[in-house]
Amino acid sequence: MTPLRTVRGEPFRPVRVSSTCHTPALPSAVVFRYRTAMPAFVRPFLVLACALAAFAALYASAGIPKPFASWHWMDIVDEGGTALMALVWCLIVLASRPDGRVTRLLAGGLACITLGSWADCLDEFWRIDKDALWDNALEGLVPLGMLVLTAGLTYWRREQALLADHLRKRERLFRSHRPFDRVTQLADADYLREQLRRTQGAVVLLDIDGFHRINREHGRAEGDRVLQAVAHMLLLNLRNDDLLCRYAGDRFAVLMPGFGADAAAEAARHLCAMVGAMRHHAGGRRVALGLRHDCAPTGDAPEILLADLCRRMDAA
Amino acid sequence: MIAWCAAGDPTIPGYLQPALVLEYGRAADADDAALLRDTGLADALDPAALVSASQLLRLLANTLRALDSRDTSFMLGQQLLPGHDGAASHALVQAPTLRVLLETLCRWHARLTPLLRPRLETWDGVALLYWVDSHGAPGLRPALVEMHMTAVVALCRWLGGERLPWRFCFNRAAPRHVEQHHVHLGSDLRFDCQLDAMLIDAAWLDRPWPRGNGVAAGLAQAAAAAEPARPPGLPAALYDYLLERVRAAPTLERTALDFGVSPATLKRQLLRHHTHFQAELDQVRTHVALWLFQARRLDNEAAAAYLGFHDAANFRRSFKRWTGITPGPLRLALDAAL
Repeated sequence: MTPLRTVRGEPFRPVRVSSTCHTPALPSAVVFRYRTAMPAFVRPFLVLACALAAFAALYASAGIPKPFASWHWMDIVDEGGTALMALVWCLIVLASRPDGRVTRLLAGGLACITLGSWADCLDEFWRIDKDALWDNALEGLVPLGMLVLTAGLTYWRREQALLADHLRKRERLFRSHRPFDRVTQLADADYLREQLRRTQGAVVLLDIDGFHRINREHGRAEGDRVLQAVAHMLLLNLRNDDLLCRYAGDRFAVLMPGFGADAAAEAARHLCAMVGAMRHHAGGRRVALGLRHDCAPTGDAPEILLADLCRRMDAA
Repeated sequence: MIAWCAAGDPTIPGYLQPALVLEYGRAADADDAALLRDTGLADALDPAALVSASQLLRLLANTLRALDSRDTSFMLGQQLLPGHDGAASHALVQAPTLRVLLETLCRWHARLTPLLRPRLETWDGVALLYWVDSHGAPGLRPALVEMHMTAVVALCRWLGGERLPWRFCFNRAAPRHVEQHHVHLGSDLRFDCQLDAMLIDAAWLDRPWPRGNGVAAGLAQAAAAAEPARPPGLPAALYDYLLERVRAAPTLERTALDFGVSPATLKRQLLRHHTHFQAELDQVRTHVALWLFQARRLDNEAAAAYLGFHDAANFRRSFKRWTGITPGPLRLALDAAL
């Protein structure tokens, strides 16, 4: 699928697309993978660790050690704990997101908070002259980090809005943590049944003609490419309210809220015509694509409705 | 003596079913470590080396777990047949009719479908292809059935040039992923049956197929027959053996003798295949009783006599123990299903 772009043109990795999608949906130039030998967060982590050590060395050389008896344990746990947790959050952000502006702002903000709290914590072990500017500056990293983090979260929110917009046709009103179909990135039959229970409208099933032959003659990878191409074409021809699912195999389902059987049949014919007009090429050879369709109004229990539709598809 | 092999014996060439499963997992981005865990197979699966059925089963279980996708078993099934097993596969592709195809498949099941054994029965205008365990894999049974049924459906659709009106029975409750069955198998599905079977009107058996070539199929079959036979798995061999002698009250001792092992060894081997003698015998008797009800239209009395029971009440009790329901309701269900 097309890589989404975030606000400032930063490549964004949608949930699973680039790392697990095993066949490029579009020409390989636009499919990109984030795979390096070393996890992306190792280098920032080393830099941060060096900075923490340097801070400790700085305090040890410039300050006078406080006697053990005058250590404030509560402060040490409090400030040290803040530094430690901010460090962990920073690493989680780095490990779970691709590099880019949002990631850098989030991780940078958390790194600043880590360093500021660490400086604050080192204060408890070494006495520093109250007038030393550098000490205050280092502790000032905490509010600075909070500002940077806030900026990062603002951009992140805009990125989410963009992504949600893109996903709307694929998932409609209700989101749950469910796996996308790995080939087409569409919702699966479970999600369709879930949506059927709460929607008034019509459901259309679409079957690719002779799909098994494409798989036999051109291989499964080519079959996956056909599924992706057809899914794209269908998505481009749906309303914002419609929901496209991959039912199973080469069968797609479209839930059309608010449509009667006639309107749905008309829309389905249009979808079939659009897919029929596609020019799909497998290894330089043109492969004709066609769809069969059947539709029914919602209302019955989803399992029965879908089983009936499938029976009619098979009989057709 | 009956020829058989244990699940641990290396009998399956690596380039056949093991390579299919491994390549499918790799194409879906699963890593080798997860796919090959506990199989004892090396990363670079040697295509010429022999793999045991239990290694293949483990590889399959790993793949199903690593991909965690509902269509894995069905997609593997799409690619399982005709396979690449030389003459046997060739005989499948050249089959001029459905009947020849199914007979070829059943004859060379140890080569073509080493994990499940298909058996074909025909009566009164119905053909029934049902699947029994080859190597005992109770945990994988549903996935194996999905895989093998899909393989036959897809192969027939390809060779016949059209979707055949199969009907399906499953020895399991209706699964959540029934949509995969709809698309890969068909919409005529029945769950909670006593066996895993696919049925079709016998009229389809002898319709000529566009790609078929009877002469080439005959030659390929002759070539396959000339090659050294691969023995079936112990449960499959035992099923055949018991089915032949089901009326003669087979015993463990006599069976062990015919299989060329001591009764203790047979017991131990069956345990390794996650089953035991009585369970296998009960399964065979259940299947025969179903066949008597359905094909021969026998009542309890006659079925009891056929299977060597003293009276119908005894038979009814035993049947309830084997299947969980009594013959009466089962008969009604069968009439509806077949």
